[in-house]
Amino acid sequence: MGIKVDFKKRFYKHKNMKKKKDPSFTLDVNFEAGNELVVLFGRSGSGKTTTLRCIAGLEKPNEGKIIVNDRVYFDCNGNVDLPPQQRVLGYVFQNYALFPHMDVKKNITYGLRGRTGHEKENRMKEMLRLLHIEGLEDHFPSQLSGGQKQRVALARALAPGPDILLLDEPFSALDMVVRMKLRERIKLIQKELNIPVLFITHNPVEAFTLADKIVAYHEGAVQQIGTPDEVFYRPNNRHVAELAGVTNIFDDAMFIRHIDEHRTLFKAGDLSIISRHIDLGPGEGVSWGIRPENIILAGSNKDNIEVHENHFSGKVISIVNKGTSKLIAIGPGNERRILISEVSNKAYEELNLFQGCCCTFSFASRDVLIFT
Amino acid sequence: MIGQIWFPLYITLKISFVSSLIVAILGTLISYILARREFMGKWLIDSLITLPMILPPTVTGYMLVVLLGKNGVLGKVLFDLTGIKLLFTWQAAVIAAFVVSLPLMVKTATAAIEAVDRELEYVAYTLGRSELETAFLITLPLAKKGIFAGIVLSFARAVGEFGATLMVAGNIPGRTNTMAISIYSAFQSGNSELANTLVIVLVLMSLVSMAVTTKLVNSWKI
Repeated sequence: MGIKVDFKKRFYKHKNMKKKKDPSFTLDVNFEAGNELVVLFGRSGSGKTTTLRCIAGLEKPNEGKIIVNDRVYFDCNGNVDLPPQQRVLGYVFQNYALFPHMDVKKNITYGLRGRTGHEKENRMKEMLRLLHIEGLEDHFPSQLSGGQKQRVALARALAPGPDILLLDEPFSALDMVVRMKLRERIKLIQKELNIPVLFITHNPVEAFTLADKIVAYHEGAVQQIGTPDEVFYRPNNRHVAELAGVTNIFDDAMFIRHIDEHRTLFKAGDLSIISRHIDLGPGEGVSWGIRPENIILAGSNKDNIEVHENHFSGKVISIVNKGTSKLIAIGPGNERRILISEVSNKAYEELNLFQGCCCTFSFASRDVLIFT
Repeated sequence: MIGQIWFPLYITLKISFVSSLIVAILGTLISYILARREFMGKWLIDSLITLPMILPPTVTGYMLVVLLGKNGVLGKVLFDLTGIKLLFTWQAAVIAAFVVSLPLMVKTATAAIEAVDRELEYVAYTLGRSELETAFLITLPLAKKGIFAGIVLSFARAVGEFGATLMVAGNIPGRTNTMAISIYSAFQSGNSELANTLVIVLVLMSLVSMAVTTKLVNSWKI
């Protein structure tokens, strides 16, 4: 049970250049998933939507295989390419794609061909209950709110009882509160139906809160597959780190020595930094990073500093108000480098910082991210 | 005089209805294919269909005569097989009306079908519906305003058709003398009373039918 995807699709700038030129973009996807919620996580244009379209049979890969629940949907070598009609899946598009000339009832029962009127009615009621949209059956899409449209689109996709559910940025047009409610609902539905759900997003919060498993994309290639904790706290490389919201990324970590079996000391410019143990030999270099919220600022008042292995002094270069929090750019010591620290509004009030003032800051060795 | 008005009115409406019916069916099919398929020589098909819109009607008429005449490419086959002569019949007038009004239908309907969001069709496919079902249940219903507008334009064009019709169907009283042709011949022969009456009937008829269709289309929600 589950889904197994391993394919390549090449894109060319000009149609008739296929034979002569190298592809301008290659999508190279390879992942497996059981009955779990998988988030395809990446920037727009990284190939997430094309992945779903290939699974649904709306686009054809150049090579590889797509298998859902032991059924071969696509196999380049075996010459299998099922049309979308024969692939048992539910697909929810980014813009909902509700049929505007049909009411909610007709939209939901559209995929229930070959069942009696009674069966259709029952299944529709079941779907309305599952998505908490009872009473909307006679409304037309134009009369629904964004969240309601989303639920109807989900109900329509789930009504035929698909083997897998594909969701393309389903919440991107919704406000925060509706988003949070629907996230919970999607999680519940996945558990209840026990089918694989593939969910596209570029929103780190959404990826982290929803996923059982994250597949991180960058420019058409899968960079990392793992649990949210793995992807967010142990990113494989700088692309994944950037996606996961690590704003402080540097390429200049030089190994110094292992402090003990759990910790390693490295040097980055003038900074001596202790991280968790890394497999490096003398003279070898890696990239390192630190999440902005993991840099703890202490202002000029050194009394209230939290004791961490890594603490430094520096200067506040600028302060940006994000509304919900403040971003503080710090220049450590005599260095040119800039570190961004994210501070809650409340903590910021207590710190009494201003542009140009001195400050101390620290971060824990376990929060230092190391990648290649 | 009554007969001189009734027959042209009758034959004009008959030719226009039959022509529009064929335009509606074939035009919708052609528009769907042009809007939704990529194939070799698509530009050529598109250009050939559009051509009568820009050619002088006499040129279109001349080409139809060459094609449909007893010794023409298609006309000869038809005559040899069935003994039917097409030229100078009301059916020939239907063909002329069809050819000149088809581009209006195809241009309008193709644009309307292209404007239907493809994702609606893709959703329908993932819900297990075939392309044919999807075309009839999703695409065409959503493009119906444009398709209907195309049919109305084609009908109006057929009613007003003069040049090509004159060349393929002539001006045979009681057989092929349409409104447009009767007005011309009444004017030529100095019968201004008949010409005036025919003009008023034609203008009134056009006005009323346009008003009715506009009202109807505006009452559709989608």
